[in-house]
Amino acid sequence: MTSTASPQPRFVPGQPDMWAFVLFEAFVFTAYFTVYVISRARDLEVFLASQAQLDLSVGALNTLMLLTSSWSVARCVQAAREGSFAAATTNACLTILFALGFLVSKVVEWATKIAQGFTFTTDEFFSYYFFLTGIHFLHVLIGLLVLAVAVRELRDPARRSQELVETCATYWHTVDFLWVMIFALLYVMR
Amino acid sequence: MNARFEKRLAAVWLGLSAITLVQLGVGSIDGRDGLAPNAAIAASAIAIALFKVRLIFREFMEVRHAPVLLGRLTDLWVVLTGAILLGGYLAGTTFAVD
Repeated sequence: MTSTASPQPRFVPGQPDMWAFVLFEAFVFTAYFTVYVISRARDLEVFLASQAQLDLSVGALNTLMLLTSSWSVARCVQAAREGSFAAATTNACLTILFALGFLVSKVVEWATKIAQGFTFTTDEFFSYYFFLTGIHFLHVLIGLLVLAVAVRELRDPARRSQELVETCATYWHTVDFLWVMIFALLYVMR
Repeated sequence: MNARFEKRLAAVWLGLSAITLVQLGVGSIDGRDGLAPNAAIAASAIAIALFKVRLIFREFMEVRHAPVLLGRLTDLWVVLTGAILLGGYLAGTTFAVD
């Protein structure tokens, strides 16, 4: 006996071009991570001594902020898909708030480390730390612009485009999953 | 909002957050003053991070509803990155600085 229910049609969320960019970015970061992991494993004692200067709870808090922002932008996409544009806008604005919280937290962490005497040139670990968190910070800044575009689209009935909202969300999730990797490699690894 | 989808997103967020708190706990086991090399923690940190990324791909980024090719490409990234990072760690320890 065959089921009469038709399966949910498959679709690419957002513009396929954004997915090409996401995969490209993911592989570029894989290259950064690989160089870091090899350098780290060659000189574990030095890397671990410097890693101990980082506050693990700050890294975990940053991760929770970005995971929550990913959740809210996923809710934004779903609400927009169902035509609940007020809820979608609220969730997009919440995502922006979490993004701003992340940026402030990162700047405070950098300022604290620099005040303690740990800079880009202190040692190899801190060079990687400032490089990886810095390049990710740039992606968060671009993400803020992207989220602002999503809010503008959602607020104006004449501009609304579900594809564009999904494209913006796809970019934002990329910022999140790249941080998930950075957190594991800089703060948790031994 | 669709209640079932809403619950699923909340469950994924809860799971990802809980894993992050476990990572915080594991990372704090021996304090932060003298971190000791630990290959098991290093390997599990990479594996757990990639598991979280795959969840983000499939659930938040809706890859589970996307054409099969996109699912395969994202899985390829997860597997390749895991293999390269674990291999890199192994290679680095093999050619460690004296």
